[in-house]
Amino acid sequence: MSLILDFAQSLQDSGFGTALAESRYAFPLVEAAHLLGLSISVGLIFLTDLRLIGRFLTNVPIPVVLRQLRPWVLSGFAVTFISGVLLFIAEGATVVISPAFPAKFVFIALAGLNALYFELRLARLAPVVEHQAVLPVGVRYAGLASIGLWTATIIAGRLIPYLPG
Amino acid sequence: MSLTLDILNAIQHSVVGQSIAKSDHLVGATAQIFHVLGFIILLAAVVLTSLRLLGHGLTDRTAQQISRETNRLLWLGLASAVISGIVMFFSAVELYYFNPAFKLKIVLLLAAVVLQILWFRKVLAQETPNAQLARSSAVFSLLLWFGVGIAGRSIGFV
Repeated sequence: MSLILDFAQSLQDSGFGTALAESRYAFPLVEAAHLLGLSISVGLIFLTDLRLIGRFLTNVPIPVVLRQLRPWVLSGFAVTFISGVLLFIAEGATVVISPAFPAKFVFIALAGLNALYFELRLARLAPVVEHQAVLPVGVRYAGLASIGLWTATIIAGRLIPYLPG
Repeated sequence: MSLTLDILNAIQHSVVGQSIAKSDHLVGATAQIFHVLGFIILLAAVVLTSLRLLGHGLTDRTAQQISRETNRLLWLGLASAVISGIVMFFSAVELYYFNPAFKLKIVLLLAAVVLQILWFRKVLAQETPNAQLARSSAVFSLLLWFGVGIAGRSIGFV
């Protein structure tokens, strides 16, 4: 843990880290980019999950939803990831001591594993590919797990300033 | 101006306002969570509808068909964000009242809601809206709602 803290502290103390943290416009804009990137990536994932559990756009086949939204989800993630790295450079040592910070990464990892399992296994099953009326029950569970894990990620992220170490 | 502030301050110092402000960080953090989750749902609905109006994403359905389903999410997300926002506002009236980013956020929010009702909704109600009109309403909608997010995120820094 102290290794991560030392690393975060050295980034925060670097010229770039200090300049970014003290910048009047850049820092709030990076914060805003993190939020907007999240709204596009996780926002569209939420809509996809609602489709998986049968509560949204049920007449659009799941493979169509996945294929057509994927580039936007990934673009949103790129914005969220890059802005997240910049935020860590600017204030990493301040946030890394919060227990909500590692919790956020645990939830992201679990959400990622769930997405991977869905894409590599469930999305390739015949009933999903062929847009059949009855889908394997795992599809619904994967959607619910995704909603739960991404909600937990957002809650943990928002709690970082409220839960100091 | 001062009368408005007096009224708002009176609410902040009322029993309700005081109980919000004093009930430790838990209420504040909970309001923040509902604020950001509501905004993400709202923006996801706006993004999906706008992408379709721009000719990207879910193109085998019309924008009208998609907006019929995103509409519910848009207003649900907005309700969550506005209700939690009111709780946050009355826990620290003066912090927000004099903040230029907060003022900008409210102006953009009102503009977005008014245009949503008077313009975007009408475009989305048409089976085949004029392509130019569809595109321009998608761009305006995205700019305004993204603007609300950017201004909101700046409140803590001005």
